[in-house]
Amino acid sequence: MLTSFDISTSALVAQRTRLNAISSNIANMSTTRNERGEAEPYTPRYVTFQTDTNITSSGGGSGVKIGSVDLSTAEPNMKYEPGHPDANANGYVAYPNVDMTTEFVDALEASRSYEANVGVIEVSKNLVENTLRIIA
Amino acid sequence: MLSTLFGTSSVPLLEQVVNFTEARHGVLAGNIANLDTPGYTTRDLSPELFQQKLREAVEASRAPSMSTYGYGNYGNNMSQSADSVSRVDRNFAAFDHVKDSYNSILRHDGVDVSMENQVNQMVKNQQEHNMAVGILSNQFRLLRAAISERAA
Repeated sequence: MLTSFDISTSALVAQRTRLNAISSNIANMSTTRNERGEAEPYTPRYVTFQTDTNITSSGGGSGVKIGSVDLSTAEPNMKYEPGHPDANANGYVAYPNVDMTTEFVDALEASRSYEANVGVIEVSKNLVENTLRIIA
Repeated sequence: MLSTLFGTSSVPLLEQVVNFTEARHGVLAGNIANLDTPGYTTRDLSPELFQQKLREAVEASRAPSMSTYGYGNYGNNMSQSADSVSRVDRNFAAFDHVKDSYNSILRHDGVDVSMENQVNQMVKNQQEHNMAVGILSNQFRLLRAAISERAA
């Protein structure tokens, strides 16, 4: 019975990690240098979920965990800015290939999923409380 | 007399459950308060250890009480007077040892620690607390009904 709390909690953790990756992508959408200060555009990160069989309920439900955090393989956006300090020999600057629309939709989905799981926890809590009303 | 009144029911057992859940709630609240504290390791009390100690205490309380464990004259006089009495003469002091289980605080290594997990543990702990308190108050309600000779 109480494993339903664990399952919902695993989803909360997973969705929050996804939201962290999305905020990182949006924050770095104009970043043209890496952590060492060299001219290299930021690579967007995407979180992949995986079912977690360590958290299972008797009914066959299972939790979720972070499978991997992958780097985007999309080519960077090239912009012609000859005066830019990070411009290449042809005057092009490599910008991260972050699509703001996609990121925002993903963020909205992650946040709604988080809310949905909080809702499920509320329902589970209600269930236990109602059971309690019978025995006590 | 009162110790038999309260002791023959599940009151001492539920009392330990309430004590444990309260102690654990305090520890979990400390974890949430220290979410952003650098170098803080998450603490917890082991419900498994508590359950084990509680089970041992229940077993011990069913055994005829020894004079070393008994509650004052209750344990000393009655257990020696007659063997037939020892059937109801339970060893309630056995429950004193249950609290040993929540003197040992566990420290997590910081891998699987998050606010969500802490709140989750807190909710489950709260449910257990509510259950124990609910059953306790029901027991007392029945006692009061018996004393007042009125349907509760």
